[in-house]
Amino acid sequence: MIRTQVSLTEEEYEAAKQEAARLGISLAELLRRSLRSLLPADPSKPWMLLAGMVESGDPCASQTIDDVVYGQKE
Amino acid sequence: MARRSEAYVDTSALIALADRSDTFHPLFRRLFSNPPALVTTPLVVAEGHGWFLRRFDRYKALQFLARLESMTPLAILDIGRKDVSSAMIFQRRFSDQDLTLADAMGLHVMESRRNQVCWSTDRDMRLTGVPLIIDRA
Repeated sequence: MIRTQVSLTEEEYEAAKQEAARLGISLAELLRRSLRSLLPADPSKPWMLLAGMVESGDPCASQTIDDVVYGQKE
Repeated sequence: MARRSEAYVDTSALIALADRSDTFHPLFRRLFSNPPALVTTPLVVAEGHGWFLRRFDRYKALQFLARLESMTPLAILDIGRKDVSSAMIFQRRFSDQDLTLADAMGLHVMESRRNQVCWSTDRDMRLTGVPLIIDRA
């Protein structure tokens, strides 16, 4: 493990502490988990961060792009 | 070892990759994790960006662009007046369909580059006979 210092605003620190407490983990573990979700699992394929970046709730999302981007016909 | 052939990437492939709710998400996650050479157009990038803007927000839309920027196997082709004219030929040929200019440009690119497969979930992209990857998988 490498020890490092980070500066947080008071609000960020409080929010992070609350979230860590809610999850039952340390603040350090919360920060490590947050970092892992930001960094690609395989650094040689950084584009894979796009994979599963969002969850629209629509199983047909990729087939209704035109409706979203261009709008549906009246 | 023979070079795997280049695939054309449509907006729907990028959205299926990004959206874990999409039925085709597992397929495109697998495909993009070990891709051949890929090509697309700025119109596809613009559509994808527009989808994130409309569906989510400007921050997600910017993230989308950043992820594409890092996608080194994907070439974003320069398009000019001649390409737009060629795409319009497809628009006229398939005037009974609601083809977007991005779709028509994709059909033109696939024809001119002799792409053998299209990474898409959009049936319109099959109009010229190039198979969709979802039918092969």
